[in-house]
Amino acid sequence: MSNEKNTAERIRLDLMIEVIQISRGGSGGVTGAKILAEAAMYEGLDAQAIPKYGSERRGAAVEAYLRFDTKPIRVHSPVYYPQHALVLDASLLDRIDVDKVDKDGVIIINSNEVPESLKGSGRTIALVDASRISRELGLILSGFTLVNMTMLGAFVKGTEIVSLDNLLKAIENYWGEKRAPKNMEAAKRAYEETKVVIA
Amino acid sequence: MVVKHETKTMTGNDAASYAALYAKPEVIAAYPITPQTTIVENLSRYVDEGKLDAEFIIVESEHSALAACMGAAWSGVRTFTATSSQGLLYMAENVFWTGYGRLPIIMPVVNRCLAPGWNIWPDFQDSMAFRDAGWIQMYTKNNQEVFDTTLQAFKISESKDIALPSMPCLDGFIISHTSGQVQLPTPEDAYEFIGPYSDPIIEIDVDNPWAFGAMTGPEQYSKNRKDLIVAMERAKKKIVSVHKEFEERFGRSYGNGLVEPYGDDVADLTIVSLGTIGDETHEAVDRLNEEGLNVNALRVRTFRPFPEEDIVEFAKENHKLLVIDRSASFGHAGQLGIEVEAVLKRNKVDTPVIGIIRGLGGEDVPYTKIMDDAKESLKG
Repeated sequence: MSNEKNTAERIRLDLMIEVIQISRGGSGGVTGAKILAEAAMYEGLDAQAIPKYGSERRGAAVEAYLRFDTKPIRVHSPVYYPQHALVLDASLLDRIDVDKVDKDGVIIINSNEVPESLKGSGRTIALVDASRISRELGLILSGFTLVNMTMLGAFVKGTEIVSLDNLLKAIENYWGEKRAPKNMEAAKRAYEETKVVIA
Repeated sequence: MVVKHETKTMTGNDAASYAALYAKPEVIAAYPITPQTTIVENLSRYVDEGKLDAEFIIVESEHSALAACMGAAWSGVRTFTATSSQGLLYMAENVFWTGYGRLPIIMPVVNRCLAPGWNIWPDFQDSMAFRDAGWIQMYTKNNQEVFDTTLQAFKISESKDIALPSMPCLDGFIISHTSGQVQLPTPEDAYEFIGPYSDPIIEIDVDNPWAFGAMTGPEQYSKNRKDLIVAMERAKKKIVSVHKEFEERFGRSYGNGLVEPYGDDVADLTIVSLGTIGDETHEAVDRLNEEGLNVNALRVRTFRPFPEEDIVEFAKENHKLLVIDRSASFGHAGQLGIEVEAVLKRNKVDTPVIGIIRGLGGEDVPYTKIMDDAKESLKG
């Protein structure tokens, strides 16, 4: 739970990396977390994806947690002090206690610009308009824009915990031949378009 | 022995489903309930896709699910179901009938607390309510152990000298819905390990009709129950030998299959627990040791039959036990704590036992909390 080391250093020192994700029910956040855990497995890491269940429903805020480690993970609790935060819907940013996110970590946000609340904070922010990319690719289900795969591309760019190749492999494996191409394209485009800035 | 493995990222429920798929049960009857549902959803898909050649019986309740499994087990076929919480309670009559009837049905219980209040999160109140039902109960610490334990359960339960049902227990959501890495053997290796269910103690045979469930007088009845007591005792040895055989074949182990010690052999404090709290405790022990505190751990993997000898041996060498329960016997204490104290007393071991209850209804039990409890216990 210590927060003092950046991602590369944590992996080098065999320290666990923890991530909090926030999304809206229906946008695919839980599936995304699972795919990211699989991508990390291809990277040779032990990984955990924990969806937080309760009264989740379409449109409601849904949290999920991820852990990555070079050793077997023995911790099962929710993540309280993440290194990184993955925000699939910018309007949910206030649901995360940013002060508990490692100051050297990255906050990955589905947005074109740094949200007002983070301006001048000195935080590292990875920005991408995932909603636009997903819409352009037709990734819409029952009126919900599916930004999960798109945001995984941004996460990979922002944190470098897993490579883009391993992410694409995990996406391909999950979605299968027919549905994978669009989802892989979404992650790739987000990876290319993500801008990492200091707020 | 070198075996081929494939590592996959999957939930704990997926791991239970894989074990069932590889064991090739001939009959599955189940009713959905959160957080168990995805186990039987997976299995119904395997049957639909032709991956599993089983009769999947759709029923209207958990009571009927287990009743259908009982009929199938009586006909001498490998049988599987799964449930949780209120569903397990609704099965109650048949849970006891299955245990006392010596039907080796495998039924993972995805632990979830009992209502009220309405809550889908884990504690062990549901499976603990059935500790006296004549079922083998093994509590798992992670997704890998769910697969391994469920597979082992078939081999243990179906042995003719055991003939007892098994309830592999997994913490709801914490294991059931969390994705992690699971090493899978090939389906062929897994099946070869458990083998076919070829020698049931009871088998309905239409050419040789028998009466089942007939009136049984006190003399025969008490003999049957005493047989069950003895079979449970034999199951201890069977669990150890199957676990050892599993280790030799697949290279993974959990202590001796009954208990899993962790850390130094001797410590000022031993933390005793079940399920994922046991895994989280390993993290706590390492950190306490780093702080210079002399703490070790014992995870009770098998709760029924109760590993009396192993617990007594471990307690004898150690100075104080902190038993963490995730359920309560209201009017007394946590079930694991009660039983640990009982076996120490019976064996004249005077190691002090502190019992605490944590994690009811999904209350989080992080290693930091376990560390605090350990420090508090060291003081007293």
